[in-house]
Amino acid sequence: MWIWILLIILLFLIIVGIPVYYYNKIIRLENRIDNAWAQIDVQLKRRADLIPNLVKTVKGYMEHERTVLENVTKARTALMKAKTPQENMDANNQLTAALKTLFAVAENYPNLKANENFLQLQDELTHTEDKIAYARQHYNDSVLAFNNAIETFPGNTFARLLGKKEKEMLQIPEESREKPEISF
Amino acid sequence: MLAERRLMIEDHIRRNKRDTLLVCLFMLILLFGVIFAFGYALGFPPYIAMVIGLPLALLYVGLTYSFSVQSVLSAAKARPVNIKNRDEKILDYKVEELAIAAGLPKPRVYVQDSSDINAFATGRKPGEAVICVTKGALQKLNTEELEGVIGHEMSHILNRDILLATVTVGVVGAIALISEILLRSFLWGRGGGRGQRNVVLLIVAIIFVILAPIFSRLTYLFISRRREFLADANGAYLTRNPEGLARALEKIKADLPDDPRGSKTVAPLYIENPFKRSTYSSIWSTHPPIDERIKRLREM
Repeated sequence: MWIWILLIILLFLIIVGIPVYYYNKIIRLENRIDNAWAQIDVQLKRRADLIPNLVKTVKGYMEHERTVLENVTKARTALMKAKTPQENMDANNQLTAALKTLFAVAENYPNLKANENFLQLQDELTHTEDKIAYARQHYNDSVLAFNNAIETFPGNTFARLLGKKEKEMLQIPEESREKPEISF
Repeated sequence: MLAERRLMIEDHIRRNKRDTLLVCLFMLILLFGVIFAFGYALGFPPYIAMVIGLPLALLYVGLTYSFSVQSVLSAAKARPVNIKNRDEKILDYKVEELAIAAGLPKPRVYVQDSSDINAFATGRKPGEAVICVTKGALQKLNTEELEGVIGHEMSHILNRDILLATVTVGVVGAIALISEILLRSFLWGRGGGRGQRNVVLLIVAIIFVILAPIFSRLTYLFISRRREFLADANGAYLTRNPEGLARALEKIKADLPDDPRGSKTVAPLYIENPFKRSTYSSIWSTHPPIDERIKRLREM
């Protein structure tokens, strides 16, 4: 008699438990994606904030390098205007390229290289670039986890019921694929 | 010619988690077995033994869980990171970056003023985590290798290994405690309960009780080693660079510790046991052999 009651309770738990588990899992993984994007956004903003200070510090030493500085400022403006994730990534890559040129040119100005403020900013900007790269990686990892959950069985059944679709990963352009040799 | 099977990092991770689950189940069965034997030998009906034994075991585990982070840090003589120092600033940066990669809040960063290369992670939940790295590690490892080590520690936090280790140690302790009490009551002849008991079952219970602590300790060490492999794999996944950690491990191997610090109980939390003198490992080791770890990383 007891055994039947126990079995019925167990069956009930399984029937209720499985949908609850998968629903929660899908929601949790989706939230992780949103959180991952928010993190990228925070780092992009931080990067954009550092630029004016950098331009100010560098201007005094590199007055004749107008195009280099202009490119950096233009790239920053593009970043501020970007809306979709992919636009943000493209603008970010543009800024990275512009900064790479700036720092390469800065090598010819020993006075600038000795400036404490410049060195701090250089460290910070490299740090922010690394953070953006890792944040992008985490975003793509989160998208992969989510896509896996809604494509495999039985998650896909629940996903269809909830109207969840696969998300897209962020594309990484060819140039930034090579691991940068950042030696501190 | 044998084809070399290259496991994807993700496969390593999945397998490891599955195996750990199975082993934990085994531990639980062991614990119940001991409680059962306890109750049975004392003549209690089985479910009374569980009703008394289980809360006691849980209480024991709960107490060890409140194991304060501060005591671990004092035992290691660790101090908060000093970002005015460039090496330490870079360490702080790298911890922040890998926390982002793992989707975790940034752990507090501590430094241990020791010349050997080592690191550990601790903290009851990811929100209160701490990562500590030795000065030696900062001086002797390059950025890539340091990232590998930090990735490994971040993985311990991500995978709740601190929690797992604490609970497992708690269970091992509980099994040992209950077994000891049972053994004593047998030896002092207080094992008499009311009613008839099967002598054979009694002997089985005694053997079980003697062997259970040994088996549970071996199981804990097995879990510890598996989690180290998991932290290696997961760390490599976070940095997307297994070679970094592999090189760091090679440097650690070549670098013998001259003054190990910290209490022996926190030794398993380190990336490599600071009290170990040789590079081989046995079933009594908390960490797998370094060469095996390097080999697996290079196969990823």
